[in-house]
Amino acid sequence: MKAALSQAEGESNTVAAMRAPAEGTLRTIATFIAAFGIGVATYIAIADSGGGSPVCIAGGSGCETVAESTYSHLLGANIAVFGIAGYVLLLAASLLRGDAARMAGFGLSLVGFGYSVYLTYLELFKIEAICEWCVASAALMTILFCLNAIRMIGYVGKPA
Amino acid sequence: MNGAEERRRRLLQIGSAAVFLVVAAVLVLIVVNASKTSGGDTNLEDVGLVAKQLKGIPQNGLVLGEPGARVTLYEFGDLKCPVCKGFSEEIIPGVIDSKVRGGEAKIQFENFTIIDEESTPAGAAAIAAGKQGRGWSFIELFYRNQGLETASYVNDEFLTEIARGAGVPDIAKWNKDRKAAATLAEVKRTTEEAERLGFTGTPSFAVEGPGTSGLETLGTPGEARQLEEAIEAAS
Repeated sequence: MKAALSQAEGESNTVAAMRAPAEGTLRTIATFIAAFGIGVATYIAIADSGGGSPVCIAGGSGCETVAESTYSHLLGANIAVFGIAGYVLLLAASLLRGDAARMAGFGLSLVGFGYSVYLTYLELFKIEAICEWCVASAALMTILFCLNAIRMIGYVGKPA
Repeated sequence: MNGAEERRRRLLQIGSAAVFLVVAAVLVLIVVNASKTSGGDTNLEDVGLVAKQLKGIPQNGLVLGEPGARVTLYEFGDLKCPVCKGFSEEIIPGVIDSKVRGGEAKIQFENFTIIDEESTPAGAAAIAAGKQGRGWSFIELFYRNQGLETASYVNDEFLTEIARGAGVPDIAKWNKDRKAAATLAEVKRTTEEAERLGFTGTPSFAVEGPGTSGLETLGTPGEARQLEEAIEAAS
């Protein structure tokens, strides 16, 4: 009976692993997305540090409005600075192997995704303006969350 | 279940718990933000609207508009005055769009503190914001977040939130400036000037330009059109 159960679990795990994309592929894509995220967050932080605001490529004043709002800073620093730190850690998690990196990548991207949801809510209902760069960052964080979730569910507890 | 499977199961449980915690945290943040009421609290309303309304228009001190504009419209107001708030939302935007944005006139806000003792620190805070090019952003944002006339809400926290929302870049300097004796004296001076001009209520307006002989008082016109005609006559 025990042997039968063990065999069934083994088959089930094998199927789960087969359905998930190769971990190397997930890590490679996450690395590029995190690097891109660092670029976006750095641009927002640099634009803010010069006393200005990011320039909305499609025009409009959404980026300026969001940058000038009270919600653009946390603990005295532009939230883009926290974004840079988050993307750097996600980049590191995607470059490293093992369960610690899998769990760290999942946890960080989960927090980043949750905060992006909150910031999007603020843009839509409190600031009443949309900043393209913030939306871009939120989209990147969403992709990173999906990649890290698939990586964690598919491979955590398994050999690197 | 072997050790590896047990470990995997435990890690997946931790991941699930983390998802639950983050979803709960985001929901709490949104609910807390949404449940804050407007008016005299620190949950700023219309930050984006004010930024959009004033976008691209020069601000110097408490003057809105091109410094070289031929006509100056003076508004004597009290930041705690609900009628001034009504003007700020209903009358002044029309004048800004028709006369100020194009450079025909500029509007100079002067403190005329008549409501209560909180009017003076509010006016001083606006002057201090003006020293950093955010005077009108501060005034407009204050009006849109104004509390009840009889309520006490003009405290450091409220003023600082307004200053941040208005985009005042150096809050430390703003704090120093708004409490300076010279700033408080300026509020008193403009209030005395309003009284000298014969004004008894807020907001009261005056206009000055090539077509006027000095400062001409307008009282409290009830429509943007009346202010626009006064500006045209003063041009």
